[in-house]
Amino acid sequence: MTEARTTLREHEGELVVESVTAVAADVVALSLTDPAGAALPPWTPGAHVDLIMGDELVRQYSLCGDPADARRIRIAVLREPNSRGGSVFVHEKLTPGTTVRVRGPRNHFALVGAPRYRFVAGGIGITPLLPMIAEADAAGADWTLLYGGRTRASMAFVDELARYGARVTLAPQDEVGLLDLDGLLGAPAVGTLVYCCGPEPLLAAVEARCASWPSGALHLERFAAKEAAAPAAGERAFELVLARSGLTLTVPPERTVFDVIQDAGVSILGSCHEGICGTCEQVVLEGDVDHRDSILSEDEQAANETMMVCVSRCRSDRLTLDL
Amino acid sequence: MTRVPVDCWYAVAFCSDVSDALLPVQAAGCSAVLYRTAAGSVAALDDCCIHRPYPLSLGSLARDVVRCGLCGFEYDATGRCVRVPTQPRVPVGAAVRAYPVREEHGLVWLWLGEPGRAVRHRVPSLPWLSDPSWASVSGALTVAASFLLLHESFADVTKIPVLAPEIAPDVLAAAPPPLDVVVSETTVALRRSFPAARLPSWQARALGAGADAPFEHDQYGEFASPAAWVDHWDVSGGGRVARMRFVQLVTPISAAESRLTWIVSRDFALDDDETGKHLAGMFESYYPRLAQALEITQTLQSQGRSGSVNVAADVAALKVREIVRALLAEELGR
Repeated sequence: MTEARTTLREHEGELVVESVTAVAADVVALSLTDPAGAALPPWTPGAHVDLIMGDELVRQYSLCGDPADARRIRIAVLREPNSRGGSVFVHEKLTPGTTVRVRGPRNHFALVGAPRYRFVAGGIGITPLLPMIAEADAAGADWTLLYGGRTRASMAFVDELARYGARVTLAPQDEVGLLDLDGLLGAPAVGTLVYCCGPEPLLAAVEARCASWPSGALHLERFAAKEAAAPAAGERAFELVLARSGLTLTVPPERTVFDVIQDAGVSILGSCHEGICGTCEQVVLEGDVDHRDSILSEDEQAANETMMVCVSRCRSDRLTLDL
Repeated sequence: MTRVPVDCWYAVAFCSDVSDALLPVQAAGCSAVLYRTAAGSVAALDDCCIHRPYPLSLGSLARDVVRCGLCGFEYDATGRCVRVPTQPRVPVGAAVRAYPVREEHGLVWLWLGEPGRAVRHRVPSLPWLSDPSWASVSGALTVAASFLLLHESFADVTKIPVLAPEIAPDVLAAAPPPLDVVVSETTVALRRSFPAARLPSWQARALGAGADAPFEHDQYGEFASPAAWVDHWDVSGGGRVARMRFVQLVTPISAAESRLTWIVSRDFALDDDETGKHLAGMFESYYPRLAQALEITQTLQSQGRSGSVNVAADVAALKVREIVRALLAEELGR
C-alpha cells in the first residue's frame, strides 16, 4: 500500500482584469474576476492577496472592494519607480482583459470588533482601511480616519470617503504638514482600537504614541519587513520536531525552519519569506522561539504560541511544532 | 470552545416551511419567530414579548401583526409595537428586535449579528438547490454537540468507512488516494480522486450501468462558512458524469447544541422514486448515527478529555478550527 499524501496549499487561480481605473496620481484600482464567472473566496476587511506576476515577482495587495461581492475583488496599486518591479508590472502589463494569478485571500490585519476605532492611513496605506471603515460604519461604531498623503492629488479614494463627512480628516502634507497624530489618538481609551497602515516612518510614529495604550489596542500593517535585527552570522543549529508528522529534523545555521520542513516533504504554506505575509504561521508546542517577523505583536511573540517559520528561529535546543 | 460565531448568515428553515403560521427557530443563542407577510416576504422577530417574557411564537398572527398570547401586545413585521390592550398610546420606542432575513437556494437565512453589517456578508452559494435539473432528499435533527465538532467530522475523510461501512462505496475501502487541502482566509476545501471502481449497487441501478462497470470517483468537500459544509461526490464512466451534492447546514443553538439540516441532491434518476427512497433511507439512518457519535465525543470533551494526537489528514479539520478561532477573536468585544 502506497502512502497517501496530504498536501496543503492556498487557494489560487487565474483571474482576469475586468477594469483599470485611475484613482489618484500614480494609483490605479484593478477589478479582478474569475474568467468563468465563478464565485471568489469570501474575505474580511484587512485581507490581502498575492499577485503572482512571475516566479520571483510575487507581491501582496490589500483587498479594498466590497466583501459581499462574490464576483470580483478590487486592489489599488501605487506606481513606485524604485520598486522591485511589482508596481511597474501592474501599471504597465495588467490592462483590461489580461490575466494574472492570484493566491489567497488571507488576513493578518483583521478588524476586531470594538465600539470605537481610530484609523490612520498614509498614502496607499488607505487600501486595507477602506473596507474596515465601511464595516465599522455599518456596525454603527464610533470611528475617525486621519488620512495623510504627499498632495491631495496623490491620495486615492478621497471621493469614496466623502460620504462619511466629518469622520474623515484629509491631511495632504503640502497643505497642512505632518499628520496631527496626538490630536487624533488623544489619551489611551478603553474600547478604542487603532488601525494604521502606511510607510514605515508613520507606523513607527503611531507605534511610539501607542506605547502607553492597552496591549492589543494597536494594529499595524507593514508594506515591507521591519528592519531585521536578526544577526546573519552566528546562527546556531537546533533540533526541529514535527509532532503530527512524527519527524525529528535538524535546522542548520544557514537554513530556515521553513526550508527544512519543506525538504522533509511535509506540506506547508509559504509566500513572502520575509516574515510579513503570515502565510507560514505554525503552532508552537515547545521551544523558546526567537521571533523575527513583522506580523506578531510583542504580546503575541511573548505568548510563544505560534511563529513564522520563514524567518524566526529557536533559542533553545529543540523546537516542536504541531505539524 | 464555548462561544459560537454570531456574524454569519445561518439557515434556519426551508422557504416552504414559512407560511402565515408562526414558526419558532433558534440560532447562535437567539430565538426568533418567522412568518410570511401578505406581501410574500419573511419576517423574523425576536421570539420574546417585551412586556413580560413570553414567546411570540405562542401567540397569533393576523394581517402581518403578531399578537402576544399572554398580554396581547401587538407587533408589526418590523418589530415595532403597534398596539397594547390597556391604553390608547403605545409606549414610546417599544419594539422587539427584527433580524435581517434572506431567502436564497430555497432556504431562509438569518443574520443575528449587528444588523447593519448583514449586507456586507455572503450566504454560501448552493445553486443546485433551486435548479430543476437536480432532485433532493433532506432531513434535520438536533445534535447535542458543538457546531465545530460537526464541521470537524465533515472535514474528516476517514469517518464514513469506519462509522458506516455499509453505506461506504467500494472506493472508500481501498487504499486512500492523495488528499489535496486548499485554504483561503475563511474557507477550507479538500479534494481527492479515486481510481475507477464499481459503483454501489443502488447507484449502478439508478444510472442503468452494469454492476461491475468502472467509474472514477471525485470527492470535494468545503467548509463554506460556520453555517455550511458542502460535499461534492461525482462519478464518471461510460461517457457520462453523475453528480451528487451533500449540503450540511449547521446552526449552533448554544455552545454544545446544534441543528443539523442535511440535503442530499443528485442530477440523475430525478423521477426515480426508488432511488429517492433509497437515498432518504440511507441518510435518515446515517446522520442520526453520526450525531450520536458526536454527542458521545461532546460528553467526553466536557469531562476534560481531548484528543491530543493528530495525523496529517487532520489538517483540514485543524484549519477549520483555526478559522473559527480567528472569526471568534474578531467578534470579541462586539
